[in-house]
Amino acid sequence: MPADQRRVLAELTEMLHAILGEFGTDVEITLDTTFRDDLGMESLDVVSLAGRLQARYGSAVNLAQFAAAFDLDSIRELRVGKLVEYISRSLDEQAPMEALSS
Amino acid sequence: MTIVQVNGVKLHVQELAPGGPLRSQPPQTAVLIHGMAGDDMASWYFTLAQPLADAGMRVLLYDLRGHGRSERPAQGYRLADFVADLAALLAAREITGKVCLFGNSFGGTVAFGFAARFPDRVRAIVAVESAPPIPVWFARIGQRLDRVTASMAAASPARGGGASRAQAEAAAGTGARSDDPDERLIRRARRTRELLADTMIARELPASALPDPERIAAVACPVLCLYGGDSALRDLAAETARLLPQAHLAVLPGQRHSLLIDRPDLVRGHVLPWLAELGIAGSSQTP
Repeated sequence: MPADQRRVLAELTEMLHAILGEFGTDVEITLDTTFRDDLGMESLDVVSLAGRLQARYGSAVNLAQFAAAFDLDSIRELRVGKLVEYISRSLDEQAPMEALSS
Repeated sequence: MTIVQVNGVKLHVQELAPGGPLRSQPPQTAVLIHGMAGDDMASWYFTLAQPLADAGMRVLLYDLRGHGRSERPAQGYRLADFVADLAALLAAREITGKVCLFGNSFGGTVAFGFAARFPDRVRAIVAVESAPPIPVWFARIGQRLDRVTASMAAASPARGGGASRAQAEAAAGTGARSDDPDERLIRRARRTRELLADTMIARELPASALPDPERIAAVACPVLCLYGGDSALRDLAAETARLLPQAHLAVLPGQRHSLLIDRPDLVRGHVLPWLAELGIAGSSQTP
């Protein structure tokens, strides 16, 4: 796994633990972890995650937009790895613009 | 997670900023209101919220009191309480102009109730599988809540424990697997039982004082009502049309009460062109 994906996975793991509270702390989160079957996440938990991602990464990472391609049920069938890929890709795409503006 | 305290209750709020080319400056505000018991803002968040933001609207979502991540006081579940929460939420977010209200099921009833109380504050109403606050609809809500209350003699599901949430639900027999088509219904039923066990909603809501029909009929803003052809709510379309003759009604064949989450594409296909025609939002890229 590339270093930036490893960092994103670590940050995502921290967010998921915060959202899941007492239920999530003893679950190991890997790229293969699924939101529903492994973490028992409900769609409202995914909304919470979207809010946290926005707070952490800004508008570059838009989970509502990412999720627009899925329906309410299939969002929860997502694997953590797919989200890590999306976040890394979004941050990569944003990086050149940041370099220009700074 | 954004929490806004209104009327002594902490409400969970999410906001999406307008994106895409703006049709109007400043952007119109859309407030998305979910249904009663077992529903939460997720049903709007993953269906219409982003397309509305892409069409240039500022989009505000919240969980009703007692629902989702919002606080659950033991009482305060009359229609007037939900309307007062919406008014206070807008004030807390410093939204002083007109808003477009989107309501799913009971959320639409809150929207109509708000418009009857504050007719000058509403630019348009989109109601999915809903009706204004009229006696026949509140009688049905009461019957539904009574049925759940009656069925609650059965043991309530286990909550919490040291295991993962998935394990806790499996142990309680409520954690259906992904190939179970009834999973969504099972979750909704569990959340409804929890709400009824924790609160007075089953007694307070059906006994709500309803607005005078003249106040509902005085709502003059554009109204779009979507109904599922196979939904029991469809019976209420005629009464809605009688009270609000300006309402544009569409019945979607074969659809049920869960129209918004079953077929968000159909809902978007009706809502976005209607908003564009009114000049409220631009046409969205999202189908």
